[in-house]
Amino acid sequence: MPEVLESRIHAPTAARGLRYGVVLQRLGLVAFIVIVWWLLALRVPHYVLPGPARVWEALTLISDSGTLWQDLGITLGRVATGFVLATLIGLPLGIIFGASRRLGEFFEPIIPVMNTVSSAIWATFAIIWFGVSNATTVFVVFMTAMPLIITNVWQGTRTVNADFIELAHVLRMPAWKVMWKIYLPTILPYFFSGARLAFGFGWRVSLVAETLGSSSGVGYRLRQAADLIQTDQVFAWTLTLVVMMAILEMGILRPLENYLFRWKKEAEQ
Amino acid sequence: MNSAAAVATDTGAITVRGVSKWFGSGDGALQVLDNISLTIPSQSVVAIIGSSGCGKSTLLNIISGLVTPERGDVILNGVPAREFSDWRSISYMFQEDRLLPWRTALRNVEFSLEAGSMLRSERETRAREALKLVGLESFADAFPYQLSGGMRSRVALARSLVQEPCILLMDEPFSRLDALTRAQMHEELLRIQQLKKMTIVFVTHDVEEAVVLADNVVVMAPRPGRIREQVAITLPRPRDATEPVTAQQAHHLKSLI
Ligand SMILES: Nc1ncnc2c1ncn2[C@@H]1O[C@H](COP(=O)(O)OP(=O)(O)O)[C@@H](O)[C@H]1O
Ligand SMILES: [Mg+2]
Repeated sequence: MPEVLESRIHAPTAARGLRYGVVLQRLGLVAFIVIVWWLLALRVPHYVLPGPARVWEALTLISDSGTLWQDLGITLGRVATGFVLATLIGLPLGIIFGASRRLGEFFEPIIPVMNTVSSAIWATFAIIWFGVSNATTVFVVFMTAMPLIITNVWQGTRTVNADFIELAHVLRMPAWKVMWKIYLPTILPYFFSGARLAFGFGWRVSLVAETLGSSSGVGYRLRQAADLIQTDQVFAWTLTLVVMMAILEMGILRPLENYLFRWKKEAEQ
Repeated sequence: MNSAAAVATDTGAITVRGVSKWFGSGDGALQVLDNISLTIPSQSVVAIIGSSGCGKSTLLNIISGLVTPERGDVILNGVPAREFSDWRSISYMFQEDRLLPWRTALRNVEFSLEAGSMLRSERETRAREALKLVGLESFADAFPYQLSGGMRSRVALARSLVQEPCILLMDEPFSRLDALTRAQMHEELLRIQQLKKMTIVFVTHDVEEAVVLADNVVVMAPRPGRIREQVAITLPRPRDATEPVTAQQAHHLKSLI
């Protein structure tokens, strides 16, 4: 029996064949969408629905002029800043609220309230406070992402196994090591799902914020293109965003998660 | 200092004096232990047996300092538990394996050495040796979910041994092993006990195990938990669970529970 187990441990976890199958399926889906899009665009004026070829042209245009990469970079920078700030504040707050029942109970009602405030409201406040600047978008991303991170980390602290704390206690482990070696690994999966949610939301609200209070970034370009009825450019920007999110998700987040949480049962994943 | 040493020889490795424990408070309080007194000589092996719920785990928790009794006190190596500081020389193997699911077997064993400031490389060397002791060196990189119940308790045993404790407390340590592995672990444990001059206190519901391993068996009675009888096992070692004398001794113990 040990031999069987051993071979299971050293075997690669995901079957390769299966993965190629999934890739093929996804490619098929993309082809299907492009064809439907192309067929629809044939019957509709181009300022309502531009066809794939026209959008590709618009894409090369904004790419060649450099605005694509520049504005993408600007928006990504704002989202990342808001997100990092939200993590730096949300992670410790979530742990503190989880560790101290009193503080947790006192602050508990704030989180759902913050979660229900629309990002348009945050954007409005941000414009009043920060005007048309980077800070406006960063603030909106921050206010949207932080409650999500706090909530998830807080939930995570509730799942810390008292048996493990006792184990550390018997070894007379100092409190900071207990935090580092038991709390943090327990919270990490929760933090990760919160962070992923927060990042996704952050992206979406950043565009809203940029259309309202910015003179650069993808959101601003989208509005500009819409105002000029350059529908092909609106499509080009949208396409870029979709591709970028897909790359982030499949190229970075998913592999990172698979590595970090490889200790979980395969059945759970 | 001389007087302390003298006391140490009098009180053995562990002395429990008049310990009583209640859980809860007021009218709903449940008395779990009633006036337990026990002296465990240095380098001896003591088994605690008794029906389930009679307070065996609670007694180990009290000795390890996890739980404070309402009455009575515990003296460890001649020092009252309140003033005792060398806790890392005491190792406690819990009834559940309590392996950290995010750590490999090796890193779980290392966990016992991480309270202090030992170098990572030294920790790893010692953890590997401990895993070898329990026959799991080839599973060093396996995560707990990849191990069977018996393997997991052996990792937990390695984690207790890697500290090289003077006192080893174990709560039903071998209950999840098959008979063959259990016999191997018994042998291994006694060998290490001799080598490291450990004092071992373990809880078991397996009277044969108690007879094979222990110098002394403490039989507890339930509700509230108290000591019914202490039986010295004087059979020559090594002992074999299948021999008639051992079986007879076990039978006698069973009648006491
Ligand atoms: N933390 C606790 N709070 C309340 N009751 C407890 C607690 N721990 C144990 N008990 C009770 O004390 C009794 C003895 O428990 P335990 O020491 O685990 O028994 P054993 O290990 O002999 O089976 C049981 O009735 C159990 O329900
Ligand atoms: Mg028990």
